[in-house]
Amino acid sequence: MPIRYDADLARFEAACTVEDALPLAEWLEATAVPRVDLSACTELHTALLQLLMAARPVVDAGPEDAFLARVIPLPPTGP
Amino acid sequence: MSELFDQFVVEAQELLETAGAALLALERDPADRASVDELFRAFHTLKGASALFDMAPFTRLVHAGEDTLSLLRDGRRGMTPALMTPELADRLFRALDQCARWVAALEEAGALPADAAEAAEGLVRGLAGGEVAAGAAASGGEADAFPWVAALTDAERAAVGDGALTAIDYTPDPECFFTGDDPLALFRRVPDLRLLRIEPSEPLPPLAQMDPYRCILRFRALSGAGMEAVTPAFRSVPDQVRIGSVTLAAAAVSPAAALPDSLAAAMLEEQARILDLPGSTAEQDSRRAAVARAVAAILTALGQPTERGAVEAACVDAGTMRRFLADGPAEKPATAEPRSASAPVPRRALRVEPERMDALMALVGELSVVKGQLGPLVRRAGNGEMARDLKSFSARLDSLVGDLRHAALRLRLLPLARVFDPLPRLVRDTARRLDKNVELVLEGAETEADKDILDVLGEPLLHLVRNALDHGIETPERRAATAKPPAGTLRVRAFQDKGGVVVEVSDDGAGIDPAAMRRAAVAKGLMEPDAAAALSDTDAVRLVFAPGFSTAGSVSDLSGRGVGMDAVRAAVERAGGRVEVVSTPGSGTRVRLSLPLTLSITRVVVVEAAGSLYGIPVALVGGVQRVPRAEIRSVKRAESVVLRDRVVPLVRLRRLLAQPDDERSRETVCVVLAELGDGPVAVAVDDVGERADVVLRPMTGVLRGLRGYAGTAVLGDGRLILVLDLRELL
Repeated sequence: MPIRYDADLARFEAACTVEDALPLAEWLEATAVPRVDLSACTELHTALLQLLMAARPVVDAGPEDAFLARVIPLPPTGP
Repeated sequence: MSELFDQFVVEAQELLETAGAALLALERDPADRASVDELFRAFHTLKGASALFDMAPFTRLVHAGEDTLSLLRDGRRGMTPALMTPELADRLFRALDQCARWVAALEEAGALPADAAEAAEGLVRGLAGGEVAAGAAASGGEADAFPWVAALTDAERAAVGDGALTAIDYTPDPECFFTGDDPLALFRRVPDLRLLRIEPSEPLPPLAQMDPYRCILRFRALSGAGMEAVTPAFRSVPDQVRIGSVTLAAAAVSPAAALPDSLAAAMLEEQARILDLPGSTAEQDSRRAAVARAVAAILTALGQPTERGAVEAACVDAGTMRRFLADGPAEKPATAEPRSASAPVPRRALRVEPERMDALMALVGELSVVKGQLGPLVRRAGNGEMARDLKSFSARLDSLVGDLRHAALRLRLLPLARVFDPLPRLVRDTARRLDKNVELVLEGAETEADKDILDVLGEPLLHLVRNALDHGIETPERRAATAKPPAGTLRVRAFQDKGGVVVEVSDDGAGIDPAAMRRAAVAKGLMEPDAAAALSDTDAVRLVFAPGFSTAGSVSDLSGRGVGMDAVRAAVERAGGRVEVVSTPGSGTRVRLSLPLTLSITRVVVVEAAGSLYGIPVALVGGVQRVPRAEIRSVKRAESVVLRDRVVPLVRLRRLLAQPDDERSRETVCVVLAELGDGPVAVAVDDVGERADVVLRPMTGVLRGLRGYAGTAVLGDGRLILVLDLRELL
């Protein structure tokens, strides 16, 4: 499972695919103040990206992947 | 209208011609990159130039053409660029034709016709159909197509850098997740990605109502790599992406970049880019001149008229020009001046009213005549010192008048390219309509002839070419059956011949069958069967020029040709020229038009009849000879003579002119063989004199009604002659 849900924190790991979209959407909707950790994410599917853009979760850690770090419009907002 | 507008009209005409030629070349060789580029440039420049004026339909049409071409050039839809197809070429030709009509209307009326918007709409739809995906067609080209590029934030600008970039505008299909697409992932494969903007393509709904499997993002990106390197990344989604070249000016705020009109800025930057294109010195020079014109025009349109010299000086390379635009023109005229001196100034054609040219020619003609009268005077002066001086003076005058005449004649000379230009298009369209393969070979387009001659030549040449395509060159099947290459060759060759210009139209088609011509002549009631049978093959083939011989119906069953051939002959002969045809059944036909170099000066043979001098245009004279009286055979009053193994009817000039017959009986008769279109005629005259170049003056006043005379002329010694129009006289 590329996305591990841990209470209000979702950890994105390795290649996160479109399969994760529905669970992520449900989780984002169900969680009051969702937080995400993208540091270990190497691939982020567009479907996941647009969910994150719509839900605007707190970004604990941005992606370490150079491409993702540069292009995705999700500035780390965490502590 | 403003000078800028006039300039647009002239340049648009040139660009349309260039585009037409490039399109023809491209259709012949769809892989011809240079022609694609040239065509694209022409459309692009037209778009930019037309945008300066209020002519939205024009801009819209060339814009659509440019879009279509950029697909062709960059292959946005698939892995390989789309290829030029005849159908696509048809559509582009139609667009060019429309533009040409509009430019003509602009020149005439200063505005587009009322139905322009409608016409543009139809053609744009035509261009958008077929090759172009509907989504892409609605797009704009280049900088226009990517308006967001001009609206980057300062931070983005800094990240992106400047220069030529490739812009990507990717709006994924909302259902694309189901087909396994991951739009974001595609951008990983874009080389030198400088910027990626990911934005919702519609307002993001609240999370609860969001369909996680529906893509609602769109992507806009800039890459430092060329389009050919970027395009492959999107080969799976060609219908959802637009890719184009854009050029960003340096980040520093320059007047051009700060201009409110981003189109103008983009156009200026495009001009700078053009300056940096590689090419030969000559190419670069001509580019510089064009760029200087364009920049001056753009600046003027922006309300910043700038001194032309300064602009020209700035247009040496892209860097200088960008600095010039950034710093403003006033900065460094001191360094600019010496450069502008060395910069080539574009050649400007001088327009002169034809009447003034004619007046000059007439004066030169009179001068030649007056000069001719000096000769007898010099001879009368005897051998004294005075006479020697007079002689040398006369010789100098001779050569000067000769040079002057030559120079005056040259003023009116234009290359035959003018009449050749419409041919490639005509051949292309006609061959396509007839389903024939035809290779057109044009030779000698640089041959020069008088403008009047070119005007005469244009129409007959079109006739001949059309005829050769229609009746000469066979269908590919028939050619294959006779072991000929499937593509016929149509050769149009021009060259200079003794004192005239010759144009030959030859094909390697079916040729003209003399037997069929004889039958047709009899069937049409033009000839008695035995007269037809007596015709030599050459003369039988010449029947194509006989008036009334050919109608479309009568030649359709012949292997020959015929439509309008008598019209060709009439036009050429009216201009003092001749038409000849040679044909070998099965292997082709050659029609040769010989025309004088100019209409202003006519070369005549001077003949005498009943004590008066007359001129016969040399173009019609096949020969002059003395014929023994005994050889003239007469049947009742009709006389004939055998000349060069042909029986030729003989007419006496005295009788034609209603003068009494020659009282003196002579052993031999002087005969001028006149080659008229429908056969030779021997004209018996009292005497034959010199050949002379004369300025023919048409009959005026009460003499105008006189039939049989082409006009009057004055000989070198001041004597007046009447120049005969033999066709009318006979």
